[in-house]
Amino acid sequence: MWTVLRDLLRHNREFAAGVCLLGIVGLIAALSALSPYSPLDSYVVPPDLPPGLPYVLGTTSRGQDVFWMLTFAIRNTLLFGFIVALISRLLALLIGLVAGYAGGWIDRALMSLNDTFIVIPLFPILVLFYFVMRDRMSWASLALVMACLGWAYDARLIRSVALSLRTREFTETGIFSGMSMRQILTQEHLPFVLPIVFSTTMNNINWSIGLEVTLSVLGFTDINTPTIGSMIYWANQHTAMVAGIWWWVAFPVVLVVITFVGLFLLAISMNEFIDPRSRLGRGMQ
Amino acid sequence: MTDAVTPVVKVTHLRAYYSTHQFGVQREVRAVDDVSLQVMPDEIYGLAGESSCGKSTLIKTIAGAIRPPLAVQGGSVEFDFGGNKLDMYRAAPDEIAAIRWRHLSYVMQGSMGVLNPVRRVQQAFVDFALRHIGQPMPQFLDTVRAHLERVHLKPEVLRAYPHELSGGMRQRVAIALATVCKPELIIADEPTTALDVIVQKGVLDMIRSVQRELKTSLIFVTHDMAVHAHLCHRLGVMYAGRLIEEARTAELFGAPQHPYTQHLIASLPRIGRAAPTQALPGAPPNLAEPPSGCRFHPRCPRAMAVCQREVPPMQTLPGGHRVACFAVTPP
Repeated sequence: MWTVLRDLLRHNREFAAGVCLLGIVGLIAALSALSPYSPLDSYVVPPDLPPGLPYVLGTTSRGQDVFWMLTFAIRNTLLFGFIVALISRLLALLIGLVAGYAGGWIDRALMSLNDTFIVIPLFPILVLFYFVMRDRMSWASLALVMACLGWAYDARLIRSVALSLRTREFTETGIFSGMSMRQILTQEHLPFVLPIVFSTTMNNINWSIGLEVTLSVLGFTDINTPTIGSMIYWANQHTAMVAGIWWWVAFPVVLVVITFVGLFLLAISMNEFIDPRSRLGRGMQ
Repeated sequence: MTDAVTPVVKVTHLRAYYSTHQFGVQREVRAVDDVSLQVMPDEIYGLAGESSCGKSTLIKTIAGAIRPPLAVQGGSVEFDFGGNKLDMYRAAPDEIAAIRWRHLSYVMQGSMGVLNPVRRVQQAFVDFALRHIGQPMPQFLDTVRAHLERVHLKPEVLRAYPHELSGGMRQRVAIALATVCKPELIIADEPTTALDVIVQKGVLDMIRSVQRELKTSLIFVTHDMAVHAHLCHRLGVMYAGRLIEEARTAELFGAPQHPYTQHLIASLPRIGRAAPTQALPGAPPNLAEPPSGCRFHPRCPRAMAVCQREVPPMQTLPGGHRVACFAVTPP
């Protein structure tokens, strides 16, 4: 594992750049632990100061320090992306592997559910969800809903691999030697699809962060939890661009773009990792 | 082989059909039709026949590794592992699970693929054999290493991934995997077909030496008659889902009785023969609509009127030579 990472860092420029960018973003998120102010307090610093010392990225019209605010915002946004990706990956793996392996009516039932989730329009559903939930809307419930909406494409992808794995000799021999379905799925099929899952995880994080920012900017989420989207929402509420407080909008946007680019670079460099020959060949040396 | 020895597997009137029902059309492919055979302990039984004659289906059925649309329509497969008797299609599922791999193992067609490409070879042994061998992990690995030495493989292959091994080595590992529990019966479906002749000879010698050492029985399927001549004690020939002839290998090659077998043997190239080999016209029948009577009669040079009407019964000639043909009369 570590040799693979080292070799990827050394020989794959996309991977190295992606790791650097995400490292910067992660460091900023980690700094939130050192923040002198609570993210929920306002008017703790003089409002509307441009970037400079002692407030490096300036202050907002609500009297918050943009830099420290940003550390909380990116932390929550990243956490949101990871949690959505984690839950939706588990769903996709479970449904994809079971449908591909079991076949028959189980496959048909799971795939019709899957296709339903593929065709329903996400954005109106999420907006509707906000109007139903209103004040009970929280960061965690939004993550859960997004995870439940975000597994379908990858479950189909995993199923297609599982369909071919089912006919392979190691599966048949496993069945013949008396392995249970659970053992075959976890021991024989899971290692096969994991690299694909790693790569789709990056895309899924990107997708969920993008959607969360979109919803927050429009105010369709819990706007009191600081995220990149809710920062931009509050800046819009205070007409920051009209008032010339550009730093309130610009820095969150720059940071989230860095995150997107980093994740995208990681996802494309995963292609090299996905090929078991190059991956395992390197692992053996 | 005395009468006191009971066969390790006894197949009686086994019929296994692929039946599909699609778009309102019922189709039945009679891949195995009324096959009876016995395999004795410590015997290599060869099964010959051209592609799509039902060889693989027959041994899949014997191994109990069948899946819809393949279904057994009649007959029985009875095992006798040292007094431990069992009927494959009447026993409880856990009884069958208990004999598999431990007493009955199966080297599948394309068996190089039994190794999962993303896992080390050792994992295959752990996954398939550990729970059958009844040993804790460290002893189990010692057993596996000792067994690998028996088949002339270095224990280091356990640490390798399948793509790091050559085709011949993978095939040896696959056979080591099937024999590690020292089963009484091994069923092997074309284990050497994908190998070139030199590697093939090495693998065949290995199979034979393992068989001699473990005194197991082996059902060996291939369409390659040279391999059969090299390895098998007895040989059964299948045509279009039926067993048509069975005899000791030397006898079958020396004095084949069934017209199909005679042509099969005559078609083999021989050193020193100048005349070109004769091909038999026609092609094997479609098993969804097999010919009436003897399934070979449309291509048979000795076909009679009765061949079209009736299925020839299996008759036993002296020396245990069995043949299903009306043209053969016992002396």
